Amino acid sequence: MASKRKSWQTILLYVFIAVLCVVILYPYFVMFITALKDKKEMYEIGHILPEVWRWSNFSDIWTAAPVFKYLTNSMVIAGGATFLAILCGIPAAYALARMRFKGKGIFMGAVIMSQMFSPVVLLVGIYRMMVNINLNDTIMGLILLNAAFNQAFAIWLLRGTFMGISPEMEQAAKIDGCGTVKALIKVLLPMAAPGIITTLIFVFINAWNEYTIALTLISTDVFKPITVGINVFYGFNFIQWQYLFATSLFATIPVVVLFLAIEKHLVAGLTSGGVKG
Amino acid sequence: MKKKTLAKFQPYVWLLPSVVLMVSMIVIPIISVFKISFSEVGRSGLVRGFNGIQNYLDIFDEPTFWHTLQNTVIWTVVVVGVSTVFGFVLAMVLNQEFKGRKIVRAVVIFPWATALIIQSVIWKYIINADYGSLNILLKKIGLIKNFVNWTKTAGSMFGWECWVGIFVTFPFVTFCVLSGLQSIDGSLYESASVDGASFWQKLFKITLPLVAPSLTVSTVLNIIYVFNSFPIVWTISKGAPADQTHTLVTYLYQLSFTDGKGGHAAAVSVIGFVILAFCASIYMILSLRGEEES
Repeated sequence: MASKRKSWQTILLYVFIAVLCVVILYPYFVMFITALKDKKEMYEIGHILPEVWRWSNFSDIWTAAPVFKYLTNSMVIAGGATFLAILCGIPAAYALARMRFKGKGIFMGAVIMSQMFSPVVLLVGIYRMMVNINLNDTIMGLILLNAAFNQAFAIWLLRGTFMGISPEMEQAAKIDGCGTVKALIKVLLPMAAPGIITTLIFVFINAWNEYTIALTLISTDVFKPITVGINVFYGFNFIQWQYLFATSLFATIPVVVLFLAIEKHLVAGLTSGGVKG
Repeated sequence: MKKKTLAKFQPYVWLLPSVVLMVSMIVIPIISVFKISFSEVGRSGLVRGFNGIQNYLDIFDEPTFWHTLQNTVIWTVVVVGVSTVFGFVLAMVLNQEFKGRKIVRAVVIFPWATALIIQSVIWKYIINADYGSLNILLKKIGLIKNFVNWTKTAGSMFGWECWVGIFVTFPFVTFCVLSGLQSIDGSLYESASVDGASFWQKLFKITLPLVAPSLTVSTVLNIIYVFNSFPIVWTISKGAPADQTHTLVTYLYQLSFTDGKGGHAAAVSVIGFVILAFCASIYMILSLRGEEES
């Protein structure tokens, strides 16, 4: 198709692409520029770029609020949730990919269904349950919830990966005297590494970006993840936009980079693992 | 003999950790929400006992509920609809070869990867009437003389929320469709061209049928995500002005955690489930059918 493109079509294409990129990047430009403005300049009207480039905003945020603590909490929550989701997801995905058993279809259906229940519509119940089991306002509670709500995606992606790998190697390993578990760990998992890493990163990003459950369950400042923590700069009548956006950059850049790394595998996994298996 | 029975149970043992995790963290809250929706709940959250369908009747008496339901339908249809059409067109464009394609693909990832709460806060700042950067930008390039209050009416507020919703939703469609497009054999188009097929004929006869599975996945998942999306509306308007811009999830959040009406909130949740379960069953039928075919 490319060879037959006329020159006006090429120009149109580039105009479309240019406009698109400008629109998409505009909020990020605003975030970056505002993060560099002086406090005084914030509510003054008139300039797009900062009059004084306050690079010190990026170092001030760490003392203005426990930003480092928030980032560490996000790391622990997202890391813990990812670990747990994969730990539970691998055996389930393995069983679904390699074994025949009664109720397989029902379980698959239940996994897909569970995805439909977002934490938001369950918040009333989640909050009550977490209070009852004393996990309200704890990091552990967030780890468990994030792991559970990402379980469907983890199983889905891992199962797709496992099904894409021929079972012959594992069978050979079993003939050589390996048990099922050993064959899984020694043979299948190394071969499935790209798919597993994709799943790891995807669950990590989801948990890192999670906002609603954390907002509802966490009231103690030192347990807040970064998505909720940035609210400290969001006072009732005075918003410290420059700090808010400086902190947001630290919360955004790592996940965007991770996302770029897995994009290709992820999309293929989501569409094929889901519909065709 | 014993070994055989063990082998029969083996798959269930493998599923066990996952089942325990999902039952304890998802199924129990579901049951709890249903129970609360049929109970009288005090302001402190104390459940006082069964009161039948009173919570539902109370909710149905609220004009805000009906307005919210209407908003939720508009929100879901507009955001998913526009995102799907635009995401599809963009995927067609990105499937062409041109210089800088990789960079554009990377740029399109940005809105998808960014936390919704951060994206929402930035847009709230951009459209601020007093010092927002959109006003400053438009004034600098001379498109407006005086600052515009972008969110003067409930309708305009809700419109901006839909815009942000679309902004974060279309990349998912684009990448799903791209993965579908890339698996299409190029020779199909060539032979169609030889037969004199027009652009539109190729689009409807070749492209659309072949990317239909990807498009189904992205549409159904997006319906669920967008329906349940909380941070955008909560950050930008919190339902203001006068509860005119709520969707079901922000409404139930306010009922439960601001107004202390846990019973009513649970009833709204259950109504949300029913709507979602309807979508879920369609999705399940489609996916399991695909499962059988392969």
